[in-house]
Amino acid sequence: MTYLRITESMVERSSLADIQSAARRLADAQRRVSSGRDLVRPSDDPLRAAKAISLRNELALVGELRGNVDDAINWQEVADRALSNIGDYLQRARELIVQGANDPVGQRGREAIATEIDQIIDAIKQEANVTYGGRYIFSGTATQTAPYTPGGPDAYNGDAGVIERTIGPGVRIPVNVVRGGALLGQGQVANDGLILDTLRDAADQLRSGTAADLNALRSTTLQALDRNIDELSRARAEIGATQRRLEAAGSRLADLELTVRTLSSQTEDADMAEAITTFASQQTAYQAALRATASIVQTSLLDFLR
Amino acid sequence: MPTISTFLGLQTALRGLLAHQRALDVTSHNITNANAAGYTRQEATLGASLPLELLPVQTQSFGGAQLGTGVEVHEYRRLRDQFLDLQARGSATAKYFADARATLLGQIEEALAEPSDNGIQAELANFFDAWAKLANNPESAAARQAVLAQAGSLAQAVRDLDARLSAIAQTAQSEFTTTTQAGGEVEQLAREIAQLNVAIARAVQLREQPNDLRDRRDLLLDRLAQLASVQVQDDPARPGSVDVLFGDAAAPLVSYDTVTWPQTLTSPGGRLGGLLAIAASGGTVDQYRAQLATFARNLADAVNALHVTPFFSYTAGNEAATLAVAVTSPAGVRTGTSGAPGANDIALAIAALRSQTAGPVDQYASFVGTIANDARNANNEAARTAAVAEAAEQRRQSVHGVSLDEEMTALVRFQRGYQASARALTTLDETLDVLINRTGRVGL
Repeated sequence: MTYLRITESMVERSSLADIQSAARRLADAQRRVSSGRDLVRPSDDPLRAAKAISLRNELALVGELRGNVDDAINWQEVADRALSNIGDYLQRARELIVQGANDPVGQRGREAIATEIDQIIDAIKQEANVTYGGRYIFSGTATQTAPYTPGGPDAYNGDAGVIERTIGPGVRIPVNVVRGGALLGQGQVANDGLILDTLRDAADQLRSGTAADLNALRSTTLQALDRNIDELSRARAEIGATQRRLEAAGSRLADLELTVRTLSSQTEDADMAEAITTFASQQTAYQAALRATASIVQTSLLDFLR
Repeated sequence: MPTISTFLGLQTALRGLLAHQRALDVTSHNITNANAAGYTRQEATLGASLPLELLPVQTQSFGGAQLGTGVEVHEYRRLRDQFLDLQARGSATAKYFADARATLLGQIEEALAEPSDNGIQAELANFFDAWAKLANNPESAAARQAVLAQAGSLAQAVRDLDARLSAIAQTAQSEFTTTTQAGGEVEQLAREIAQLNVAIARAVQLREQPNDLRDRRDLLLDRLAQLASVQVQDDPARPGSVDVLFGDAAAPLVSYDTVTWPQTLTSPGGRLGGLLAIAASGGTVDQYRAQLATFARNLADAVNALHVTPFFSYTAGNEAATLAVAVTSPAGVRTGTSGAPGANDIALAIAALRSQTAGPVDQYASFVGTIANDARNANNEAARTAAVAEAAEQRRQSVHGVSLDEEMTALVRFQRGYQASARALTTLDETLDVLINRTGRVGL
């Protein structure tokens, strides 16, 4: 812009405006350095602010999902350990049944074996009553109720409710794979051919010791027990598969969290090297503006007139 | 021989002394007012005084002649350009409008406190986190308590934001009222302009030049132009007086000595216009509050629909200010439809709201986005109009302002003129000395 005349107030106004804008830029640069953040107010860059907010939400979501996955994995581990113990008991029961089905043991021996099988039944119920975080994991959603009563009736006390964990947006996975008494069953009253029913049958047959019962013990009961052991293995395989799926989801989420965290930091945080360089150069600019103003304001025709 | 006074030269030199003295007076008036706001530099226009008419018989050629009689001050000129005033006032109105909006939107933005760990976005994230934790531990009383606490904190944050928005609007509204009410700044300025109108019109009638009164009136008009748009019309009936139209007020604010105020303003421009645009009923803040209320209602409805019994409560039509948690005890927090202690389908569904498309999280983000964009536009407009206003002001200063270097030069020039006139007087005096004191003293 060209002006006809330059007056003192013009020089003063423009010097002041320049100093102020230099000071403002310096304050901005200083704020970036001291806060470590590039984005202090949304209006600094509305697009980036929107991105920053959605990244923050995503970060919170990923954090939640990782928590869910960790919890579900622990749950599966507890369930698997319990089923593995039950499997050991079943193997022991099978050995005892095979042993008891042989004549040389005699009736006294068979009764002793039957007693041990009774104890195994109680031990299996005890295993099925395993808790994780204060809840019974084989009770369906009735997590405050023990599924079985050791030393009592064989009835299942829980329900068949599914408990799920969210492991991705819209992705849910049931964590109580075994529920509703599906493995152990409800005992002889229900006559469901499941573990408790089979073991109770075996104990009864051992105690009675008649040829027909022993025959049944050798054939039907032993076959039923083998079926039970198969089913247990299948359940464990299913839990194992769930666990692998959870672990894959977990490591994917860990990667995602790192990516989102990096992106979020890139969106919101200041690049320190750049911020400090800018700060230093703004400081120089500010000092230059001050110096220039000082020398302009000092000089006047008055200095040269006698 | 023509008869011309012997002492004409003395008179001429005296005129020179007096004219230069006046010019020095004007220069020193300029210098002393160099930093006075609204001052317009003045100039003593020097010109030859009326010449002495010599009749044809008085000259040898019988042609007649005019004999110069020296110098006099023709006028004290006020170096002001009305069009630059128009430009400067127009751009100041735009600047103050944009400034008021940008400042208020900046306050609104600060009230949001986004993106940060303390804003509603963070509260929302914590709220959904609490539900997710409850979904993992539906039996836990602590997790229920945490859900209640987070929900309370979220509702509080929404209510606080609404209250802060409302307070910002109220402050702006009360500034508007204080400025425009009877006896407020607008009326004070208008009354002083009316008084100056009377004084200036009288001075003009007496062929005086009321330069400093005009400066004062222009300064007041500048101040009015910051508050709202101003139109200044010369009053044809009373030279020197002006009528002032203010904003979109129906009647002229000032007409000669009459002030018509208070009047209704709806979109006056200037600072008052900026305040109204933000704070008036149906203005920007009201729109934001309506958006916040929609967000609060949708959030509460979405959670309530999943939570069988009402989880959030609100008063329809005033959702953001009344959002509260309806559930009072941890036992009232429902985790599953079956009511079994381990059932978590409700908690899962509520926690899943966070990743719902166009759900509460998206709605809040778009609310922040709206404000961010508005604030950015307002900041840009403020910077743009400030640059235009500054340029107009600089142009005006270039013409109206006092340049000390220039005044110092004038000072030297007029001082030399005065000295030379004085020397002329001395020379004439010496000449007359010969005539009066030495002539006719032969032999004495």
